[in-house]
Amino acid sequence: MTKTDLHHQIRNCLQQVAELANCQLIEPVTDDTVLLQSGLDSLGFAMLVAQLEEELGFDPFSEMEIAVYPRTFAEFVSIYQQYQLKYAGG
Amino acid sequence: MSGSLLALMERHPGDSPALKYRQTATAPLVTVSYRQLQQLALAKRRQAANLQQQAVNIRYRDIADFICSLLAYDGFCSALYLLPDHNVAPAGMLFIASETMTDQRLPVDSRWYLATSGTTGTPKWIGHSLQQLTKTVSTRASGNTLCWGLVYQPFRFAGLQVVLQSLISGACLIDASDGDIEQRFDTLVEGNVTALSATPSLWRQFLFSGKATALQLQQLTLGGEIADQPLLNRLSQLYPTAQLRHIYASTEAGVAFAVNDGKAGFPRDYLEQGYYDLQFKVDAKHHLWLKNSALFGPELATRVDAAGFLDTEDLVELTPERVLFLGRASGVINVGGNKVHPEQVEQVVLQVPGVAACRVYGKSSSILGQLVMAELVAEPDTVPEELIGRVKAHCQQQLQRHQIPFKIQVVAALPLAGSGKQVRIV
Repeated sequence: MTKTDLHHQIRNCLQQVAELANCQLIEPVTDDTVLLQSGLDSLGFAMLVAQLEEELGFDPFSEMEIAVYPRTFAEFVSIYQQYQLKYAGG
Repeated sequence: MSGSLLALMERHPGDSPALKYRQTATAPLVTVSYRQLQQLALAKRRQAANLQQQAVNIRYRDIADFICSLLAYDGFCSALYLLPDHNVAPAGMLFIASETMTDQRLPVDSRWYLATSGTTGTPKWIGHSLQQLTKTVSTRASGNTLCWGLVYQPFRFAGLQVVLQSLISGACLIDASDGDIEQRFDTLVEGNVTALSATPSLWRQFLFSGKATALQLQQLTLGGEIADQPLLNRLSQLYPTAQLRHIYASTEAGVAFAVNDGKAGFPRDYLEQGYYDLQFKVDAKHHLWLKNSALFGPELATRVDAAGFLDTEDLVELTPERVLFLGRASGVINVGGNKVHPEQVEQVVLQVPGVAACRVYGKSSSILGQLVMAELVAEPDTVPEELIGRVKAHCQQQLQRHQIPFKIQVVAALPLAGSGKQVRIV
């Protein structure tokens, strides 16, 4: 999966989870959107990470020795990209 | 700790700030000194002379009024019932006169009652002495220079701990227990909080907000959920000189113990050596049992063994160095500090026509501790996708958001334990 595909997949997942969690996302969510201001609350955010784990097969937040906390949507996506590279690289 | 709460306040300089809070969500922070708190409390006591030696309930209006009530009624009334909700008093709890005392001397050794949610969702009242509630309060000399952030509801066990810690050590309490998450974090930053107690889930949100770096924390406490190692590592990296501790406490068992070494779980040595007056044991089913020097109240009798140990119903795993927490034996799911009883969710799911059987359990979440999951068995001739849709819709009507299953799966059969009961996974 390319970087763009992953970015796209996370964005789709965000929309689905927002609906499921009954959260109203701000329009538009951009790379600079601060996660806590995106309209997704902590429950929605936890659901997003769980849904991505199901789709991608990993949860970067449970794999870290020292937890990293992304502030923006771009930082969030970048953490998944880094972990995917690590997984693909074996 | 001895004497009434009000008497303990008299040791602090009257001019010292005791509390900063907002009277409305958008109002600026107002400062209340220790002297002002004492005067307000004494005035409240004078107005309530008829409540002397009586049991009184305390309904939360705002933090200043709440603290004044605690100061006024502790040592004056026989029992303090802290109502668990802003508006709702449980039936029959409006005024409890059964504990009226005949002895008229003050101070009275007041009993404090806090509500805990039972399996049915009906609150159970658990009594504590002020001494029990303040057992882990640190009174070290520098404690009065701290500013404690309050992010828990103060009428619950964890919030009350923060309020008492701040008041007894002569520190300043910054109220951030109300409002949306952004406002609460802004209040912590504006109030220059230097000491903060929060659930691991709330700490994670605070870190996600990017605002945690604005604080110069000296004391960090984690409680209410299992504290995991990555989070502890991140916090000790961010605040390298601060004291970091995670507390094991429950409303039922009273204050238990704190772990200060920055590692998840607690040292295995505690099992042999104990922790102050607390003794530990782990049974064959991996339940943690605790024994206190104070006796557990009669309401817990069924969970106390012949040697006086209480079954905490927390499941633990033993490693060579540590005892690690796994979750609740009862299968209670902890979603970011909110307890979800699987039975309650199962009952709601079973109301949907077409559902033959249902099992609700927790799935671990790196963000909120756990999320709610459901498996169900469909009656014959039911279309699984349609059934899931109906269950989701029904749950959204009947349950609070954190109780609604994140995932609903239709399965052929549910696993049953040897007893014939459903298997509970934690």
